[in-house]
Amino acid sequence: MDTQWETYEVFHQTKRGDAHVHVGSVHAPDPQMALQLAKDQFARRLKCVSLWVVRTKDVTATDYQDDGFFAQSTDKSYRDPKAFESPEKAVDDEH
Amino acid sequence: MSIEVPSNISSKALSRFVLSLADDEFILGHRDSEWTGYGPILEEDIAFSNIAQDEIGHSLVWLTLCEQLGGRSPDAMAFERSWKEFTCCRFVSYPKGDFAYTVVRQYLFDAAEQVRLQSLAQSSFKPLKEIAEKLIREESYHLLHSQSLVERLGDATEESHRRMQAALDEAFSQSLGMFETLQDEEGLIQAGVFPGNDVLRNQWLHSIVPMLKAATLTLPVKSEHDIYRILCSSDDGGRRGAQTEHLQQLVSDLRQVYDLAPQSKW
Repeated sequence: MDTQWETYEVFHQTKRGDAHVHVGSVHAPDPQMALQLAKDQFARRLKCVSLWVVRTKDVTATDYQDDGFFAQSTDKSYRDPKAFESPEKAVDDEH
Repeated sequence: MSIEVPSNISSKALSRFVLSLADDEFILGHRDSEWTGYGPILEEDIAFSNIAQDEIGHSLVWLTLCEQLGGRSPDAMAFERSWKEFTCCRFVSYPKGDFAYTVVRQYLFDAAEQVRLQSLAQSSFKPLKEIAEKLIREESYHLLHSQSLVERLGDATEESHRRMQAALDEAFSQSLGMFETLQDEEGLIQAGVFPGNDVLRNQWLHSIVPMLKAATLTLPVKSEHDIYRILCSSDDGGRRGAQTEHLQQLVSDLRQVYDLAPQSKW
């Protein structure tokens, strides 16, 4: 019998309005315990206003082997948002 | 900075009461820290290490109040007292046991802490009231954690039920020692400092009996007209310094580093 608890992916929000950022995973028997344990692992030192947990097995992901999925067959650089201010920079300036 | 005690409250009885709170937190915090590196699952290892730090932090809050009431410094109280001078209940001094025992002990303690802090939030002695209001938020999450584990492990599998019930059979009589009557407690009750250990014990039973029952765990108690009759003995003695050899060993362990250079500044 598999006695290991299943894993939950943990998403952490530093302040309201920010995106929840993936920070890692925890083992837990159910979602409520996963939130409590995620608090101890990830929200103890970092400022946190909200946590999400999602069962790892509920995440549908691409396969690294299937690199054709992201292949660019023709030049699409005209689609890159080069003419805009970088939002990361704007956030950095606030600090 | 010293705190003045109103004339209707015995300063000695008050200090004794606050010290019992401090010692319970300090010794249980140490026992919780013994899971660091040994937890049955990484997440619980970290959770118990976290709770250990919280409990010892709460102990510092109470020891600081003891000092303000005319006692020695928190460091001196923690590291320079003989084990025979500790007034924790014996319950918190017993070895950490298996994880079932640790979870059951933490739950019984957290539930007691909850009723104790709720009553102190109504205390006539303002410093107690303010500390209780501050600590109760953090303690509520300790209770949520230990209660969640009891609820789940109580009837998860045949093995988890058997081990949780065995842990409860061992811990319950010990845990009643949390409510051992203090010397001169009557004066504190009359002055409205706290409602007394008999009242707290009954409030605690009202909180734990239904919860444990829902988790399919049984206790030796009988309910009669809103009062629980307890059908086993209470492991008293800790409040008057009649401690066990387990506490002697624990205090010698936790003093090891301090005793190497007692005058060092950290």
